[in-house]
Amino acid sequence: MTARHANHVGGMSTGLSVVRAVRAGEMLAEEALEHCIARIEVCDPRVNAFTDGTFERAVREARAVDAARARGEVLPALAGLPYAVKNLFDIEGLTTRAGSRVRNGQPPAAADAVLVERMRAAGAVLVGALNMDEFAYGFTTENSHYGPSRNPRDLSRTAGGSSGGCGAAVAAGQVPVTLGSDTNGSIRVPSSLCGVWGLKPTFGRLSRRGSFPFVASLDHLGPFARSVEDLAATYDALQGPDPADPGCHAARVQPALEQIGHSLSGLRIGALGGYFEDHAGPAARRALACAAEVLHATPGVAWPDAALARAAAFVTSAAEGGALHLPTLRERAAEYEPLSVDRFIAGALQPAEWYVRAQRFRRLYRERVNALFADWDVLLAPATPVQATVIGAETFALNGADMPTRPSMGLLTQPVSYAGCPVVAAPLWPDGLQKLPIGVQVIAAPWREDLALRVARALEASGVAVSPVAGI
Amino acid sequence: MNDTTPFDILDFVRASARLLDLPLDDAQVARVATHLARTRAMVAPLRLLPLVPDAEPAEIYCPAPFPAEDPS
Repeated sequence: MTARHANHVGGMSTGLSVVRAVRAGEMLAEEALEHCIARIEVCDPRVNAFTDGTFERAVREARAVDAARARGEVLPALAGLPYAVKNLFDIEGLTTRAGSRVRNGQPPAAADAVLVERMRAAGAVLVGALNMDEFAYGFTTENSHYGPSRNPRDLSRTAGGSSGGCGAAVAAGQVPVTLGSDTNGSIRVPSSLCGVWGLKPTFGRLSRRGSFPFVASLDHLGPFARSVEDLAATYDALQGPDPADPGCHAARVQPALEQIGHSLSGLRIGALGGYFEDHAGPAARRALACAAEVLHATPGVAWPDAALARAAAFVTSAAEGGALHLPTLRERAAEYEPLSVDRFIAGALQPAEWYVRAQRFRRLYRERVNALFADWDVLLAPATPVQATVIGAETFALNGADMPTRPSMGLLTQPVSYAGCPVVAAPLWPDGLQKLPIGVQVIAAPWREDLALRVARALEASGVAVSPVAGI
Repeated sequence: MNDTTPFDILDFVRASARLLDLPLDDAQVARVATHLARTRAMVAPLRLLPLVPDAEPAEIYCPAPFPAEDPS
């Protein structure tokens, strides 16, 4: 470890190391929680990952775990694991603001979101809610109402977005696990920029009930962590069908944790070229090359229609997001995030033909992408074009062109989520652990999170993809 | 498709905002038009993509889960 990172630096251990210590009686869940709260109090004035603390609830949940152990009960899978959620998840008793001001004054949530319920059932301890781009429309978490989340790897830079608080809290060692959302890259982008692991599951894998929507036909929820084991264990705890979410297509749980240590022997792994090379800066290319070398991946695999898919994802997001907010925009546009309100309005005004065409294309696109996975088990691509940009930067340079920062950070994630494929974002360090990280997407066919997590675990075991606690 | 001027987009924003009862001042109209022009350029290749009539939109709506058993 370098001076910049250390295993703890006061930060939390990995989630499952806490769970094992609690189970073995080496640590109380309440002690783990106290450690976590202390870290939040030290770091958060600089990082600004948290918007709300739920410490009283957390103490109750931690004490319940300790009491169950004292009674000799078998503890559930995540007993004692502290975690936090993006503030678009319903938390009973809190108003779900989704990063906005316009939702202040709305009644508090009457119940937890389904995924928060599942975390509670698994024994996890909820410590708070996390900062985000307003209504999830952004890739930088430069939230004008609640302040920007700062990247723990370099506090002058963005944490990515829209789940920026999720990436920052995990990188800073404030909590070992967070839950975020990903519509166009909002788990993968902050994972890439903050140097943590993120999982965007298959579209329709996890229930979204009780989370504030952005784009119903594209919204996914998923976990962040500093180890692949934590990522898989959390993902397993979140799984389960939900007939009340029309976008939840999973019929049963398919556990992944037990698969992650399996050999990669026989897996066909490729690295994407074409669009994904053309839109990657030098660090992103080096990170991809590094991962591809470790995994003996075949280079130059062509992903079908990536540019069309990115355009279709952009139009779909603008139209659905704009339409969702139109009633409020009529009355209270001035209270919206100035960095995204004009994009919401532009989306609301888009011709219907653009949106319908995008959705018609999406059906054909799905067939083309799924056909690609007849030849490949796992495909690799950079997660972001560049590393974290300085807060307030309007543009970044990409292969000789100036790109607008806020919409362009998702150039490489949008084509993949438009197909609905599961992706693990792996944290690589092409310039060494002293410098900034950048992520690589580990992409599998729909419903094959197990393969993406297996390959991610191999990258972690090789040492090229790691997530130390930031030394702040 | 390439003959639209910035003035046409400004007109479109003003007219469609009025149609949707969305009050916008001139500065907002200009900013929204900039975004819409960018989206229009991005979507141009998608608009040229040939789509056969039976290329239906990707589905999300289902009236009810398909029954596990046939009716008796």
